[in-house]
Amino acid sequence: MIAGRRKRLWEAMDDAGLDALVLGRPANVAYASGATALWTAGSRPFAPSCVIVGDDIHLLSTWDEGIPDDIPHDHLFGLSWNPAVVAADVAAIPGLADAHRIGTDGTSAGFRRIAERAAPGAELVDARSVLDRTRAVKTAAELSAVRRACCRAGEALDLLRAALTSGTSERDLLSTLAAATAEVGATVITDEVVARRTASGLHHVVTDVPARRGELVALSPTLRVDGYDGTVARTVVVDAEPGEAAAALRARCRAALDEVIARCRPGATGRDLLDTWAGAGGGDLGVPLAHGLGIGAEWPLIGLGVGGADRLDAGMVLAVQGWMHAPEAGGWLERDVVHVTDDGPRTLTREGSA
Amino acid sequence: MTATFSDVRVMFGEAASRPATIGGEAIPDEPDLGRLRHERSARLRHQLNSAGIDALLVLGTSNVQYVTGAAMPSVDASRACLLRPVALVTAGDRAPHLFTPYPDGAAGRLPTDHIHPPLLVDLDEAAPAIAATLAEHIDATASLATDEVTPPLLAALGDREPANGASVLHSARLRKTVDELACTRASQRINERAMAEVHKHLHAGVRQRELTARFVGRVFDHGASGVGIDTIWQVMPTHRSAGPWTVHGDVAYPTPPGDRVLEAGDVLWVDSGILYEGYASDFGRTWIVDQEPTEEQQSQFDRWAAVMRGALAAVRPGATGADVCAAARNADPTSLDAGTSPWLDHFYVGHGVGVDPAEMPLLGTDLGPEFDASVVLTPGMVLVLEPVIWQDGIGGYRSEDIVVVTDDGWFPLSDHTYAPFTEPA
Repeated sequence: MIAGRRKRLWEAMDDAGLDALVLGRPANVAYASGATALWTAGSRPFAPSCVIVGDDIHLLSTWDEGIPDDIPHDHLFGLSWNPAVVAADVAAIPGLADAHRIGTDGTSAGFRRIAERAAPGAELVDARSVLDRTRAVKTAAELSAVRRACCRAGEALDLLRAALTSGTSERDLLSTLAAATAEVGATVITDEVVARRTASGLHHVVTDVPARRGELVALSPTLRVDGYDGTVARTVVVDAEPGEAAAALRARCRAALDEVIARCRPGATGRDLLDTWAGAGGGDLGVPLAHGLGIGAEWPLIGLGVGGADRLDAGMVLAVQGWMHAPEAGGWLERDVVHVTDDGPRTLTREGSA
Repeated sequence: MTATFSDVRVMFGEAASRPATIGGEAIPDEPDLGRLRHERSARLRHQLNSAGIDALLVLGTSNVQYVTGAAMPSVDASRACLLRPVALVTAGDRAPHLFTPYPDGAAGRLPTDHIHPPLLVDLDEAAPAIAATLAEHIDATASLATDEVTPPLLAALGDREPANGASVLHSARLRKTVDELACTRASQRINERAMAEVHKHLHAGVRQRELTARFVGRVFDHGASGVGIDTIWQVMPTHRSAGPWTVHGDVAYPTPPGDRVLEAGDVLWVDSGILYEGYASDFGRTWIVDQEPTEEQQSQFDRWAAVMRGALAAVRPGATGADVCAAARNADPTSLDAGTSPWLDHFYVGHGVGVDPAEMPLLGTDLGPEFDASVVLTPGMVLVLEPVIWQDGIGGYRSEDIVVVTDDGWFPLSDHTYAPFTEPA
């Protein structure tokens, strides 16, 4: 998998005329290097963590644990708190001083000073879109990884379904899911609640309120397995069969989402997906209609006022979701993972026993 | 209410039972979140005024948490740089504006007209929207600072060069209010409570992942808003050479989690961090699987305890980071004679903790002795002290404890047994 990703990245660097690449975003560093790093929450200011010169990968790591064998020890530079040490480490990377065009996936005043010293005269190029577009199209091995993660997400959905009964809170379900996924070596990505009561809309912060019989609860586990994310969302009625209003809401939401998924073909634009959703009766989601999925959430982001001009290519993987709300019933959330292929969209979501 | 501990560690001696005040105020048992937001805002405004900054745009996850006090889930880094919450503080407005994918977390904490849809500072096509939003809230001539920049943000700013907002936030965040300290302690208590439960299940034959499963399940049960970092149960070798190769020759720690089946006698360096109301905790202990420490292992703990006591004895208002480092070094003649420091080379003897799990003040890093000497301890600063004792052939001992600098010394914010090691009386 690592070799396949690097091949794509080297080709993209050639196409963009880059002779070096300085990466700081954890997902980009993982993509290029194949290194396993500790997971930490939240954003990080841009700082050089992976420096690619020609075919050589230099990596910020104090040890060789989790580092692919083909990155030699002398290509590792240690963790430092001192900008002068970081600047010296980067400046010592062979070949960087001769680079003409250096791509980066972020920027900071501190980094511009480091670059001036390490590669005087080099042009710094914003290479975020090079990374985004390279990562968006998955290799076969990556596709298998997303598939495995989606299987785990499907199992997680089953687990949540089984655990949800009247009296269960979102926090109870988060606790249950976090424990079960940790045991199989996966990480629950908690930037949305894994289960939410939908009556008052689509909220994002976990609550302690117990679910009531008959109410609609959206279950939406996102799991990281071996570096790749899988996700799914389904909505269930607590301890009851859907009433008329809920059944109608489910039918409308599912049908609209299916129309959007059917539109996920090479050449379609984000605007096409947004128009399809609106045409099928979908309203303002308040969340993205779709986003790329791989090493976490990825480009493109479609919805929230952006992504209309982004074009789908064969090989992309998207998480596509629909959300509808009816005051008398509650809300309905559904999400599938879709592989865009020349033969049409293929759904990677696995629903387990559903 | 005066903060005291029911189960005082011998390590902390009388410091834990003395009334602790920060600027004359006691640390409350429960944080007052309204007062917390008000006091943080006042401190930030003071720093902005001093620096002559009219508006501060905040992109860093922990900084947004600090500035707004809005609840939010712990976000994965990939999402945090695609669809992140962003805050804008302006001199003339007491409340910050929040542009967020998690509006429910701000409800009741910020005025409704200050909660906005997300500002997509990581997407090029959003540059016009960023420019329009800034124009709506701040004057074209206002001085603007940011804690981070992104290319779309720079494009939106045009010729405007933002000032360094990170240093302003750093100054505001360095000293904690009593409610921030109560949050850190609450976060640490959740962490410690879950760890006490996990420790009971530490036996030969248990896999590392089973420990993680139990831990993460329990922290959410106990009220955590998120997990901040992979939970570490690293099995330490007795010789450095048996562990991973390192750039500096010191011990590799903490390495990414694996799934080893634990064996009797395994020495685990345990490390975990969870979040509560945006505040991080930091738990660090050394455990041994199904065995009591050998004499040699206990003697390493004794050395560690001497270093911790030495460092704590130096912690008081007016002391410098260099004083704490020197006291820690002098408390361990073995490493002093060897010309080394009793902490990991790539880390520090101590670091702050607040909305970030490791933040200023950093003591004993490769920023060097001059930097350490420039750090003057003041009431409200928090120190996570994490000495490490290593003796090749025996292995090592590492634990962490958290204290806050008080008006007349320090007060512990962590409170957890060192079992299976025995504290010297």
